[in-house]
Amino acid sequence: MPGRTSVVDKAKVFIVSYSSIFQIGDSHYIYKLSRALAVQREAEIFFGDEGNFAAFQTFTRPISPPPIDEPISIAHHHLSPIIKVNNINIIGISSASMLNIGNSHHVAMEARIKHIRQLLPTGHEQDIG
Amino acid sequence: MIFEVYNRNLCVDNINITGVASSSMVFVGDTDTIQLASIFDTPPESLIIGPFVPLAPEVR
Repeated sequence: MPGRTSVVDKAKVFIVSYSSIFQIGDSHYIYKLSRALAVQREAEIFFGDEGNFAAFQTFTRPISPPPIDEPISIAHHHLSPIIKVNNINIIGISSASMLNIGNSHHVAMEARIKHIRQLLPTGHEQDIG
Repeated sequence: MIFEVYNRNLCVDNINITGVASSSMVFVGDTDTIQLASIFDTPPESLIIGPFVPLAPEVR
């Protein structure tokens, strides 16, 4: 099933970081995984070798996609062979993300984020109700 | 289920996006399957008030 052709006049992207992709063209299979352990500390203390993904269930628990338990027949009729976009303006593409201009067959992307906040005890007793 | 699609003209003038982050995707084109999954975990016990205890050391 040949897809349509994507025509983009102007694409402006400032930042592509942390294993992100700006792809122009077709692909068959895309798989991207991003794991983040976000620690917010009230004081700037860095221990350097912190963070063990295996220690948290967030990063080890399997994510099972919903099962497709119904026969589906899909038919596409591309009466217009062009997908037209004039301008694309993106400031940032980060942490295993993607801008894809073109076709693909299978796309699977996964993000796992654990957020931890560490506050100082002094001066915070009254906040805890 | 029978799913039949007739694609006619598809023209977009401007796409302005501030950020695409954590395994997200901006896709201009056709595809068969897209499967996006994410886990964001910030349970109550992840708010730690007290002296800073370093997390488990990195496993190399």
